[in-house]
Amino acid sequence: MAHPQHAAARRGRSLASREALQGFVFVSPWILGFLLFTAGPMLFSLYASFTNYDITSQMAWIGFKNYDTMLNHDPLFWKSLRNTLYFVAISVPLQTVAGMLLAVILNRRMLGIRLFRTVFYLPSVLSGVGVYVLWMMLLSPSAGLVNLALSWLGIDGPAWLTDPAWTKNAIILMKLWGAGSMMLLYLASLQGVPNKLYEAAELDGAGRLRKFWHVTLPMITPVIFFEIVTGFIGGFQIFQEGYVMGYGNDPGAPMNSLLFYNLHMFLKAFKVFDMGYAMAMAWFLFLIVLLLTLINLTLSRFWVHYEGGEQ
Amino acid sequence: MSFKHLKKVFQLTAVASLVSLLAACSGGTSGGPAAAQADAAANSGSGSSVSPEGRVVLDYWTWWGSETRRPIIEKLVDDFNKSQDKIFVKHSYYPYSDIFTKELAAVSAGNPPDIMMNDINTVQQRASKNQAMNLSKYVERDKVQDRFFPELWNTVLYNGDPYALPFNTDTRMMFYNKDDFKEAGLDPDKFPDTWDELEQAAQKLDKKHGNTYTRIGYSPQFNSDWNLLQLNFDGGRNFFDESGKPVVNAPAKAEAMQYILDNAKRLGQKNIDAFKADFGSQQANPFLSGRVSIWTDVTNFYTQIRDYGDGINFGVAPLPETKEGAGHWSVGGGFVIEIPYGAKHPDEAWEFLKYMTDVEAQTYWAEKNFDNVANKEASNSSELMSNPVYKASVENLAHTKLTPNPLNAPDYMNLINPQRDAIMLGQTSIQDGLNKAQADVEKLVSGK
Repeated sequence: MAHPQHAAARRGRSLASREALQGFVFVSPWILGFLLFTAGPMLFSLYASFTNYDITSQMAWIGFKNYDTMLNHDPLFWKSLRNTLYFVAISVPLQTVAGMLLAVILNRRMLGIRLFRTVFYLPSVLSGVGVYVLWMMLLSPSAGLVNLALSWLGIDGPAWLTDPAWTKNAIILMKLWGAGSMMLLYLASLQGVPNKLYEAAELDGAGRLRKFWHVTLPMITPVIFFEIVTGFIGGFQIFQEGYVMGYGNDPGAPMNSLLFYNLHMFLKAFKVFDMGYAMAMAWFLFLIVLLLTLINLTLSRFWVHYEGGEQ
Repeated sequence: MSFKHLKKVFQLTAVASLVSLLAACSGGTSGGPAAAQADAAANSGSGSSVSPEGRVVLDYWTWWGSETRRPIIEKLVDDFNKSQDKIFVKHSYYPYSDIFTKELAAVSAGNPPDIMMNDINTVQQRASKNQAMNLSKYVERDKVQDRFFPELWNTVLYNGDPYALPFNTDTRMMFYNKDDFKEAGLDPDKFPDTWDELEQAAQKLDKKHGNTYTRIGYSPQFNSDWNLLQLNFDGGRNFFDESGKPVVNAPAKAEAMQYILDNAKRLGQKNIDAFKADFGSQQANPFLSGRVSIWTDVTNFYTQIRDYGDGINFGVAPLPETKEGAGHWSVGGGFVIEIPYGAKHPDEAWEFLKYMTDVEAQTYWAEKNFDNVANKEASNSSELMSNPVYKASVENLAHTKLTPNPLNAPDYMNLINPQRDAIMLGQTSIQDGLNKAQADVEKLVSGK
């Protein structure tokens, strides 16, 4: 097989460079895939955000016009950004706490605990339009179960999805239902807390709360941190809820209270084919999320505890 | 690698691909493109006794996958395939939520389907953006233009050239329960002529048990809303005048809103919302279950009455008018059949377009679906006209307006609807809300 010339060339190379070459050959499918299917489209979308690209008929350079329209002339842009920020700001902390509490409750030995864990995790497996339609029924002001339950407590429940003051809260409430997916990670990290720490704390006379506060919580901070970062990133991507649950089948209705950032972007891209504008919105969102993640990472130094000591 | 080992790898791959398929399903807005693709693949050329060998194969995309509609569309495709030996049409079904984005992606990738069903109100948008093919050379050659209702034909023109052929349409009418009318002392053979008369009749039809309504005669918020009424009140004019100027805050549109608010005040918005929240389809439709006496819907609602109405004694009438002679204006929608831009076999695809909009196919479609069809002759066929509801619907087309999206403001409704909501919720006055909507749309149109 070996051609004499090739054989000579091979002999000329050092072991290290041969190994490096082989390494690159082995990772090349991933690198090629990344360049072709991730980096390529990203660069294209960055370029397109400076054009009037509409997918099929035109693509002319228009400079910062899309960004200018976005920031200065599109009231729905700000509305959708505010909606999304509101959702993220309330939903992410709430979900983090709910997932953790759920995990703490379900982290004990008792009869049927596996069943309970499964039941609480189950909603995370279900997703999509079916669940939203189900929740639209549950949240119905007069016939829905949520307001029925509230009425037993003597509370006159709000018109969840009809009243713009309540729609986002309704979505946040609905999202709590899926806290089970977070619960699973917390559960795993709770089980990883070494028992000897608890024993040591007990010897020092620590009670239940104190043990949780001084042993459990610090030990699971890496998971909390992970959940917060991914929660933020995921939260900014909220889309379907506003699309499906908009009052009267209007995306984002009533009064655009459910017009989330990504929904506005989607409507611009695929309903009116203003793809250049949508790309500009996408990059702006990328910057926001990047910035927030960097802030999160910086702050994490002050409160996240890694078992192996300072990193 | 042993055979056993190989088998295991295959199984794993199969499971992995299934999982990714499921993931695609839950990720999408509904059924998901992956599922649809599998579905389409499994059904390609289904039901056909003819083979595609040696013919030009055309891919025809629709979203008609339901038990009712799929056999109808596939029978039409099959008949076409049997009728000739040069072209073979393959029907592919994709869910409504995905098909348009999918088509857009296919067109931009230069690999579109050959024939596509599409929305009638957005033809000009697609034409202006090179998404649909200019059909003028075919239309001039084959002179098909006279087949269609002029109102529908106008929607497919862009700069004077056709970019699609109208396929079907619909019109909103009033369905009413004649037994309820009798019981309330109203003439069951005469539907109220004006909106004021309707409101008076509706009051008589309401039924209360204590403080809660067991039956509501009529609310313009039931399966209808201001977007429909404003056009009727304004002499059939939608949100733009002849010259393309926005007229969102025209006096007639404010009157339509006032009418809805008055009705809501009388019934109580809470009661209306409670009714609306309970609405379902089929047997649970409030008109069919006797909870609402007057119901606005497109005319093929008739098929639901027929299939689920349990012998309900109903009548059908045009929307009322504001005053004698003002006109019973209604709104229609519908679909067109077109050749996507860049399709490889436009000559052959055109043959299918011609066939689908010809009298025979259109009559079949109308009979089976109870749809209003675009072909005038099919629409007027004596057999169809013997059904009084169908006859009424065809007559209603005369004062039915289509509302194509203007090119310079395709998403104008996103600016109007929030103001409509704000007015309905009492957060702003009618005039302020409409003025705001008018200003927003004007700004959008001017592009600033």
